[in-house]
Amino acid sequence: MTSRRQLLKSAVLGGGAGVVAATAFGSLGPEAAFAQAAPDVEPGTPDPNFAEGRIRSIKDNTLFVLGSNWVFHRIRVVDGTSLWKLGPVAFDQAKPGDGLYARGVRMPDGVLAAESVWFNIVNVKGHIQNITSEKVHLDHNGKQILCHLVAGKSVAVYSDAPPSADLSQLRVGQHVQVLGAWRPDTNEVDIATVFSPH
Amino acid sequence: MHGIAAPQPYVIALFLLWAALMKLLSRRMRAQAGQTALARLVGAARAVPALRLVAVLELAVAAALLLPPASPLEGTAATVLSAGFLLYLTYGRLAAPASSCGCLGTHARPVNWRGFGRAGLLLAVSVAAIWAGPYPLDATGVVVGLAEAAALLALSAELDRHWLTPLRRLLVRLRRPLAVVAPEKIPLEVSLRLLYLSPAYCSASARLTSDVQDVWDEDGLRFVVYAARERTAVFAVPLSDGDPSAVRVALIQEPALA
Amino acid sequence: MARSQSTDPPLDLLGPVQGEVSWFCCGAAWGPCSTTGKGACGTCNSGSLQHAWPNTSDACWAITRPDSCGVSMSRRTCGFSHRTTALCSGTSVVTTIADCGPQTDLFCGERSCCGATCASNRLIDLTPAAYSRIASLSTGLRPCEISVP
Repeated sequence: MTSRRQLLKSAVLGGGAGVVAATAFGSLGPEAAFAQAAPDVEPGTPDPNFAEGRIRSIKDNTLFVLGSNWVFHRIRVVDGTSLWKLGPVAFDQAKPGDGLYARGVRMPDGVLAAESVWFNIVNVKGHIQNITSEKVHLDHNGKQILCHLVAGKSVAVYSDAPPSADLSQLRVGQHVQVLGAWRPDTNEVDIATVFSPH
Repeated sequence: MHGIAAPQPYVIALFLLWAALMKLLSRRMRAQAGQTALARLVGAARAVPALRLVAVLELAVAAALLLPPASPLEGTAATVLSAGFLLYLTYGRLAAPASSCGCLGTHARPVNWRGFGRAGLLLAVSVAAIWAGPYPLDATGVVVGLAEAAALLALSAELDRHWLTPLRRLLVRLRRPLAVVAPEKIPLEVSLRLLYLSPAYCSASARLTSDVQDVWDEDGLRFVVYAARERTAVFAVPLSDGDPSAVRVALIQEPALA
Repeated sequence: MARSQSTDPPLDLLGPVQGEVSWFCCGAAWGPCSTTGKGACGTCNSGSLQHAWPNTSDACWAITRPDSCGVSMSRRTCGFSHRTTALCSGTSVVTTIADCGPQTDLFCGERSCCGATCASNRLIDLTPAAYSRIASLSTGLRPCEISVP
C-alpha cells in the first residue's frame, strides 16, 4: 500500500468521526466556503469552469478536447483530479476518441485545471426492449442502445432500496435510467448503475 | 396466380379498416396528432382534421375492396393509397426524424425499418390486388392471405405490447440472462450508495470538490477518497455492514508533495 | 373527457418543492447525444447552466404528466429560472429552462435519499454543466429542492 493510502487510512481510523466537526473547516463557514468558489455564472449561459467534448490528443498531463460547438479545450489533469471511466481510473486510461465532461477551475491562460473528469459518461433513459445474455437492449428516443452488464461493477438501484448486483429483476417493457460508460463510436454502453422506479 | 391475388383485397381492407377506426375512435391518437410527421406536413392545427380525412379515405377504399363488384380500379386505389403512405413515411423520416408516424397506434416512437417494411408489403399486396378480380378464395389463397396478415401484424410496432413483449418476458424468465454469479468483490456503487445515506457524507458533501479520487479495501473497510478544496476527505465504509451511521470521515491536510 | 391540466394548485407556486434531479445531454454532442438536438427551446447545450422542466407547454405536459404521480407543477416557459438545491449538501445552482422533461410519469413513486432526507418523483433534469455543480455526474440521480431564485 502506498504511503499516501497509509496516511489517509490512519487519519480516518484514528481521527475520523461519524460527522465532520465544524472546527475542521477552521474559520470558514458555509457561506464563506461558497464565496471562495468560482464567481457566479449567468444562468442559461455556458459555464467556463466546465468542458465537454471528445479527446483529440493527449500530451503530458493535458487533454486536448474538441467540444460540440467547435470550442477547443485544454484540460490539465493533476494529482488531485478525480478520473472516472466506469469507476475511478488512472490517467493512462484516457484515450483519444473518448468523450468527456470535466469540471474544474478556468485559469487565466484559458486552461481548465480539472477537479473531476468523467470519460464517456452517459445517463440515458429509455424502455427495455429486450434482455439477452448479459445485455439490456434499451430504446432511447427510438434508437437502440445496447447496455452491457459488467461483472463486479454494474448494479441496479430499485428506487430507494440498497443497490444490488442482481439485475435480473428488470423487466422487458419497463422504463429505466442507465448511467454508464459509452463505448466510443458505437451504440453500446457499459452499465455502471441501472435506476429502476420499482 | 389468381389464387394468390384473390385474398389480397381482404388483407388490405382489414388493415385499412383497422387503421381508419384507430384514427377515428382513439382519443389518444388524436391527442398525440400534434407530434406526428403529419402535423409537420400540414401544420399542428390541421393535424386532427387531416387524420380524419385520411381515415375517411381508408374507409372508402376498404369498403370498395370488400363490397362487390370487384374491379381492378379498387386495387389501383389501394395502390395509390399505399404509395402515398410510403411517401409519407419517407417524408417523415427526412423532415421530422424524431416524430412518430401516427398511423395505427399511439406510441410516440419514430418510424424505423419495420414501419417501412410494413408500408412496402402493403404496397406489394395492393398491386397484387389489381388482379384479384371476382375470383373465389381457395386453400392457397387463404394460406397466403393469413401469412400476409401475420407479416403485417408482426411488422406493426404498435402491437408489440400484445405479443412481442410478453414473449420476450417469457424468454427472459426461462433463460435468466442477467442472473449473476455472486461477485467476489462488492461493486463500488454498492458502497457509494451506502455512503450517500450516511451522516458522515451529509456533513462533508458540501465541501467535496471532486468525484472519487482513490478507493481501496482493507480489513473489512472500503476507503473512499475525495478532494475537499485544499484538503482531502477520506471515508471508511464498512463492506459487510449496511448501517450508514457506521461510516466514518476525516478531513486531512495532506503534506505538500515533493 | 381528458383534462389538459390538473385543477389542483401547482405545488411549486406554494413554495419550494422537493423531488429528484437527474441529468441529460443536449446539443450536437458526443455519444448517444449526437442526434439529440437543442431541445424543445432550441437553445440547449450540455455545457450551459440549463434545465428541462416538465410543464413548458401543453404538448410537454402531455408527455411528462407529473399529475399521474400526484404532483402538479406550474407552467413555465423557455428561459425561466429555477434554483435546484441538493438536499443534505445544500449546494445549489440556478439554471434556465431549455427543454421539456423529465418523463415524470414513467418513474412515479421513485425515491432518492441523501442521509436521512428523501424525496420522490423526478421533477427536473439538469444539463451536465449544471448537475456537476451540485453533485458528481456519476451519482446519476439525487434528491433536491426546487425553488424560484
